[in-house]
Amino acid sequence: MSSLVRSFSSSLGRKLLMGASGLLLLAFLVVHVAGNLVLFAGRDAFNGYSYHLVSNPLIYVAELALLVLFTAHLVAGIVVTARNRAARRHRYAVKHWARGKSSKSHKSVASSTMIVSGVFMIAFVPLHLWTFKWGPNYPSSADPAVRDLYRLVIEEFRRPLEVAWYVGAMLVIGFHLWHGFASGCESLGVDDRDWLRRTGQVLAVAITGGFVIVPIAIWLGWVPA
Amino acid sequence: MSEATMTLTLRVWRQAGPDAPGRLVDYCARGVSPHMSLLELLDVVNEDLTAKGEEPIAFDSDCREGICGSCGLVVDGVPHGPQAATTTCQVFLRHYRDGNVITIEPWRARAFPIIKDLVVDRSALDRIIAAGGYVSVDTGSAPEANAIPVPKDEAERAMDSAACIGCGACVAACKNASAVLFVGAKIEHLTRLPQGLPERERRVLAMVTQMDAEGFGSCSNEGECEAVCPKEISVTNIQRLNREYARARLKPRR
Amino acid sequence: MILDGKVPAGPLDAKWARHKDHLKLVNPVNRRKHTVIVVGTGLAGASAAASLGELGYNVLAFTILDSPRRAHSIAAQGGINAAKNYKNDGDSVFRLFYDTIKGGDFRAREANVHRLAEVSVKIIDHCVAQGVPFAREYGGFLDNRSFGGAQLSRTFYARGQTGQQLLIGAYGALMRQVHAGTVKIFPRHEMLDLVVVDGRARGIVTRNLVTGELERWAGDAVLLATGGYGNLYFLSTNAGNSNVTAAWRCAKRGAYFANPCFVQIHPTCIPASGEHQSKLTLMSESLRNDGRVWVPQRAGDRRAPSDIPESERFYFLEERYPSFGNLVPRDVAARNCKSVCEAGQGVGPTGYAVYLDFADAIRRFGASVIRERYGNLFQMYERIVGDDPYAVPMRIYPAVHYTMGGLWVDYDLMSNLPGLFVLGEANFSDHGANRLGASALMQGLADGYFIIPYTLASYIAGTTLSKVTADHDAFMEAAQAAQARIDRVLRVRGDVSVTAHHRRLGQVMWEKCSIARNARGIEEARAAVRAQRQEFWHNVRVPGEPTNFNKSLEQALRVADYLEFGELVAIDALARDESCGSHFREEHATPDGEAQRDDEHFAHVAAWEWRGTEEAPTLHTEPLHFESVTLTQRSYR
Repeated sequence: MSSLVRSFSSSLGRKLLMGASGLLLLAFLVVHVAGNLVLFAGRDAFNGYSYHLVSNPLIYVAELALLVLFTAHLVAGIVVTARNRAARRHRYAVKHWARGKSSKSHKSVASSTMIVSGVFMIAFVPLHLWTFKWGPNYPSSADPAVRDLYRLVIEEFRRPLEVAWYVGAMLVIGFHLWHGFASGCESLGVDDRDWLRRTGQVLAVAITGGFVIVPIAIWLGWVPA
Repeated sequence: MSEATMTLTLRVWRQAGPDAPGRLVDYCARGVSPHMSLLELLDVVNEDLTAKGEEPIAFDSDCREGICGSCGLVVDGVPHGPQAATTTCQVFLRHYRDGNVITIEPWRARAFPIIKDLVVDRSALDRIIAAGGYVSVDTGSAPEANAIPVPKDEAERAMDSAACIGCGACVAACKNASAVLFVGAKIEHLTRLPQGLPERERRVLAMVTQMDAEGFGSCSNEGECEAVCPKEISVTNIQRLNREYARARLKPRR
Repeated sequence: MILDGKVPAGPLDAKWARHKDHLKLVNPVNRRKHTVIVVGTGLAGASAAASLGELGYNVLAFTILDSPRRAHSIAAQGGINAAKNYKNDGDSVFRLFYDTIKGGDFRAREANVHRLAEVSVKIIDHCVAQGVPFAREYGGFLDNRSFGGAQLSRTFYARGQTGQQLLIGAYGALMRQVHAGTVKIFPRHEMLDLVVVDGRARGIVTRNLVTGELERWAGDAVLLATGGYGNLYFLSTNAGNSNVTAAWRCAKRGAYFANPCFVQIHPTCIPASGEHQSKLTLMSESLRNDGRVWVPQRAGDRRAPSDIPESERFYFLEERYPSFGNLVPRDVAARNCKSVCEAGQGVGPTGYAVYLDFADAIRRFGASVIRERYGNLFQMYERIVGDDPYAVPMRIYPAVHYTMGGLWVDYDLMSNLPGLFVLGEANFSDHGANRLGASALMQGLADGYFIIPYTLASYIAGTTLSKVTADHDAFMEAAQAAQARIDRVLRVRGDVSVTAHHRRLGQVMWEKCSIARNARGIEEARAAVRAQRQEFWHNVRVPGEPTNFNKSLEQALRVADYLEFGELVAIDALARDESCGSHFREEHATPDGEAQRDDEHFAHVAAWEWRGTEEAPTLHTEPLHFESVTLTQRSYR
């Protein structure tokens, strides 16, 4: 264990930590988006799913793990970025991406703004929790012990501003994943290959799409209240 | 052969010493032959400056055939200029047009302090190699060369990584001034070969420790390094480095 | 004076083994008390410094470059010879020895060449153990290829970057010793003088190329591994920083300079494209396997090559040398290229180039086969010249490539100045009047890994060395002399740049003392060099300060030395009134136009003692005795 801690104090170790925590957070997002899509199965299914999730005592372990992962990923990201900035004290007067020179560069707007898209989550996640996790606890008509989360979601996403904010946030996450998946894998030592990049991009689109389809559908009135 | 000449403007970083302030200075070069290399153009500009009694532009260059790794300029914002798989000394002016402005800067990284103008101190890379970038074999103790067969493919892949010329363009291109492509190439070269395996863990830990001590940044997996590498060293060397590092860290030690 | 090479007695193939058995040894615990100064970190210097560090000596290693890994050994493409006989084609130590000494036109010391062939096999073992990724067969064993001047495959190679890979091996070994604390490296340091105390080499004076500081370094021995002097000619395949200064400073302190006129010209280089040209790039000799060399028959024919019909082309190598054709040795090819260009038949913008045409080979084998064989070379050519060699014939011209001459050393690689050892291209010892391909890497590493550790120990163990520090008067005198020289060159404040001087000197030497020379031309070259030397000290402009990074000052000091050394090359070329190998005196040609040796009068090493810049040097000779080979005349008709 001390070896593991020691390794996180090295540049490669910090990237290993970022890669591992990032990929685990990604796995959480996959589960999360899958759960969101249950909404399309109807009120009872969605509320039932939500009830099973929160009534499982393991939820506290999972939440703690998520908190640790999120914090680790965020703190490591900030530390890495600060050190990276310090590694070049004087900027270039003129600097261009090398894409014009060789197709080997994967540099993109997404890859250049990871810290921005990442730090944005500090703003999004608490608000998101505030809105849904700690939002109004409507009892469901079928079983008052079960929270009517379905109603809350519909109410929230009937508000255009809420939809816009949420969709925007999801696009930022997608942006982060566009580079993040392949980058995380590579930091963990998976060889850079085209399929890896493409998988990451497909995942980014799928996850973002899965997230935004819910508010958009609600806003457009496709989901019954 | 037609001998049309060009007029080019060089916008060159001038800095008198390590702590002196620097700035871009314009130099107009007239009657330039398209057959010249960019470094020869700097030679010509320097002859003019000498004639005018000004100090010539300091830059490093030695073999001028792309193998020694001495030269290294950021040309119009890209290390080693616009052509792929090319060192600065192999950039020829026929790729420019009359009237072009060419901006030239030194490698910039905290680990590569500027000595003067376009000359930087890259001894950090030597110190990383000193930490472990070799096979520890004393002269005289080697077995017969064919005693250890090495599969052809493995030898070829080792050679792909060993082709690194240590110019530092990877560091210069990386937004984080990271040296992991350089380190990864050496790790991969020696880990591919049976000769390098006895020191496998010790080597990667020592080299990474030294790399960090020199103040290089981390890898963001963007691949700018490979794109500018004159020897086209692949970023897979970085992923191998990550693997080797994790492996060495996790391996129980006595 | 007749020089003694101190060749050990006994049969040729037992000399080295017996000699080693009788060399004195330094006790392991005492080694760290001995400081060894190594100047130059190419193959010879890095391998020597690393090996001596491993043995426990206190080593100080100096390089003018920013890293030891950049030394010009790195540019060697082809390979390294070794008498492994892995190909079962009849190779042996004797055959490698014989090919090398014959290739050198019988102007090298037999015992040295034999030792070189003997240790060649250990070099490969060692480099493989270091992780040098040599080319391999599918079975996993080492591959070999054939190279010029040999009828078998004994050349080990790592793609076209053998020199680079061997140097990285030696550099790794060196850095390992740096880490271990036995070797200290001093990059960007240039040796400006040798310090001799009581007749022994005891240290050097260097200039820190970053701060301009002059520094004094004392030691028990000085190892010089500073390469060749090809840049005397301004244009050569050498790197820009390669220079003669360290060696010439030693010569001025009493070390003899041997055979300076032996300069190898490589026939297939990319020609200069104009006045701005700063260096020439070698194109591998292998291109002559499929390329046909020609020029227009009519002098001054400026038509495009495709417009010149077959009947108006002059395939001069094929016509003049029907049995070898385009594959004649380097020196023969170079001479013929020069002669057709001087007859006005040369091509390209300068008229100093000949065509190397692959059209026939492409017709016969198809472009894909040619691409497979030479793709990377064609690409390199296209990058530099801007022509597509698949469509337009290449233009090539000879260029200075390697210098066989160097400081005189005895069998132990020690110069006539005790304590000064000279390794690699910087010494004169193994290649005679012409070096075979893939032999330079072999010699550098043989000297550094496997010879100097033994012979240096014997010198140190067998010598009572008084305690000398860098504050000794001799050091102060040398440092002051170096300072005075720097001050003097900065004070001139003339109009002509250092580069212009260098280019002019190079042109004279190239025209009158290179591929082919004659007495009159050499005399003219000598007079021109003397005159230019005077002019230099009255009319050179060196901008900038002495106290910081100043490339012009570095170059000025080197060119000043070339202006002295160039005269010695001319003197030696004139004195050697015969032709041999690379030294082709037009007065001495066989009826076939080949080099006509005069073994009766010139089977010797000419070692020159410096007497003063404006004084004639004194000639010392070391007779060459050949016990194991019969001297023969080359012919390629």
